[in-house]
Amino acid sequence: MNQHLTSEQISNWLAGERTPQQESHLRECPVCAGEVARIQTTLQSFGATVDRLSEQQMRGAPQSVRQLAAVRPQTTRPLRWALAVAALSIAVGLPFYERTMNERHRQEMAKADAALLEQIDAEVSRAVPAPMEPLIDLVAWDSTNSRGGSTTR
Amino acid sequence: MQPMATSTLMTDAFRGRAAELEDFDGVVRLHWPRVFRFALASLRDRDAAETVTQDCFLKAYRAKDGFRGESSVVTWLLQIAVNLVRDHARNRRLQFWKRNRAADFDFDGASDEIVTRDRSPEARALAKQQLHAIWRASESLPERQRTVFLLRFVEDMEIAEIAAATKIKEGTVKIHLFRALQTVRARMENLR
Repeated sequence: MNQHLTSEQISNWLAGERTPQQESHLRECPVCAGEVARIQTTLQSFGATVDRLSEQQMRGAPQSVRQLAAVRPQTTRPLRWALAVAALSIAVGLPFYERTMNERHRQEMAKADAALLEQIDAEVSRAVPAPMEPLIDLVAWDSTNSRGGSTTR
Repeated sequence: MQPMATSTLMTDAFRGRAAELEDFDGVVRLHWPRVFRFALASLRDRDAAETVTQDCFLKAYRAKDGFRGESSVVTWLLQIAVNLVRDHARNRRLQFWKRNRAADFDFDGASDEIVTRDRSPEARALAKQQLHAIWRASESLPERQRTVFLLRFVEDMEIAEIAAATKIKEGTVKIHLFRALQTVRARMENLR
C-alpha cells in the first residue's frame, strides 16, 4: 500500500477496524503514522481533561453502602427549581395582577360615574319641569334651543 | 483435557470477580469516581451525574447476588450506568434544566491544566480549542455514538468491554465509534 490512508481509513483504524495492510503501511509511512499519533494524542488529552473536570465536579465519594443510601445531591433538584420559579412568579405576579384588576375596576367605576353625572346634568338642565314639557311645543321657541339650558333664562 | 482446564480457569476467574462484591463498601470507594465521570461526561450535569451514580451503586448492591462474573465489576457497573444515563437523558422534562446547567462547567479551566506548557502560545491555544471542539462535538452525537465514544476515549475501554457494557455486538460498536470519530475529527479539522 503506497498511497496514504484516507480519512475514513484512519477513523476505521482508530475505531479498531484494522487490516494487516494498514498496519504495515502505518509502520512504514511517517506521514500517516504522524497523523494517527496526532489524533490519538488529542483524544488522550480529551480523556484527561474530562477526568480533571470530573475530579473538580465530584463532591466526594461515599465510603460505604450505608452512606450511599443517605447521600443525595446537595444542590436543588429540577423539581425544586420548578417549584421555586412558580412560587417566585406568583409572588411577583400577584401584586401586579391585583394592581391591574384594581385599575380596571377604577376605570369602570369612573366611566359609570361619568355616565351618571351626564344623566344628572341632563335632568338638571331641563327647560321646564317634566309635567310642563308638552306645553313647550305650543311656545314659539328658537328651533335650535328648543331644549337647551339657555332657553330658561 | 484442555477445554476442561480452560473452563475451570474461567470459572475461577468468574468466582474471583463475583467475590469482589463481598466487600461492596470497597467497590463503592474504588469505582465511584469512574462511574461518576462517565455519567458527568454523558449528561453534563453534576446533580444528574450524582443521582445516576448513586442509583447505579444502589442497583448493583441489590443485584449483586445475581452477578456471575462474566465481565469485570467495573464493566458491569458501567453497563448499569449506561442504562441509567440513557433513561435519564430520555426524560424530556429535564432537558431545559440540563441545557441551563451545562454552561456551569469550566472545561477550558480543566483543559488548561492538561495542555502542556512546553508548546508555543499559539499551539496551546489551538490544542485547547480542539479539546473544546471534541467536548462540544461529543455532546451533539447521537446517544449510542456518544456512549461508545466516551467509553473508548474517556473510560479507555477496549472494544470487547464496550460491547459488554452496552450489550451491542463488537462490529456495531466499531461502526458507532467510526461515525463518532468522523464527526469529532471534522470538528477538529475545522480549527486547523
